[in-house]
Amino acid sequence: MPAGGVVRTTSQPGLTTMLNRSCREVTRLVLEGEDRSLTLGERIIVRWHYRICEACPKFGRQVKLMRRALTRWRQYSESE
Amino acid sequence: MSDFARDVETLRPQLLRFARAQLRNDAWAEDAVSETLLAALEKPQSFAGRSQLKTWLVGILKHKLIDQLRRQQREATVLSGGDAEDIDDALFGADGAWNEMPADWGDPEATFARREFFEVLEACIEHLPPAQGRVFMMREWLELDSDEVCKQLAISSTNLWVMLHRARLRLRECLQAGWFAQRRNPA
Repeated sequence: MPAGGVVRTTSQPGLTTMLNRSCREVTRLVLEGEDRSLTLGERIIVRWHYRICEACPKFGRQVKLMRRALTRWRQYSESE
Repeated sequence: MSDFARDVETLRPQLLRFARAQLRNDAWAEDAVSETLLAALEKPQSFAGRSQLKTWLVGILKHKLIDQLRRQQREATVLSGGDAEDIDDALFGADGAWNEMPADWGDPEATFARREFFEVLEACIEHLPPAQGRVFMMREWLELDSDEVCKQLAISSTNLWVMLHRARLRLRECLQAGWFAQRRNPA
């Protein structure tokens, strides 16, 4: 493609491309966050995505509920 | 049989369930639980109640299980067929977007107040494919960190994350189907 017709809509052309990830990819990061600490860049990607996506924040809340449930389950398995 | 021995014995089925969920091998689970009960009977102690006794026995069992996993290192990492299935392909479209909107699971405390929820959770964990179930239990029940799990099973961290990713997605699906789809808003 010749460069003539390209319109830049942002002053930092690379940034949104870098931040925009699919739900599938963000889901992978959110789940990996349960087993390792995400890098700053990865955390920014997730936060950015949460602002523009309806489904992933809901998934994030499910993951959080599971994490808390597992802690309760572990405590409950060790006594009672 | 002394009271202590009888109390220890009554906890045996529960210990066996955890050992099975962790090791995914009945013979190894029996060994780990037998060793635990023997260790307990060798140095009887007095406890204020059943709950304290259980805490003590579970503590011993966890040590035995970690020993067992270390010894069975190679066998423990063999992947069975079902584990290779890519659960992501069913959840996301070709564009990487969710096929179905994740459900609202409501107030966590209201859910945790129901004892049956934890029975469903435990059944879901027990139904994870073996390799996934083992690493999941190592992380969530034995509370080993990811590096430790990798070292004990001699697997790469990428390999571990893939297994845990699948385990957590399966657990989510199982909880959705087995609990949340049936009671939208727990009273």
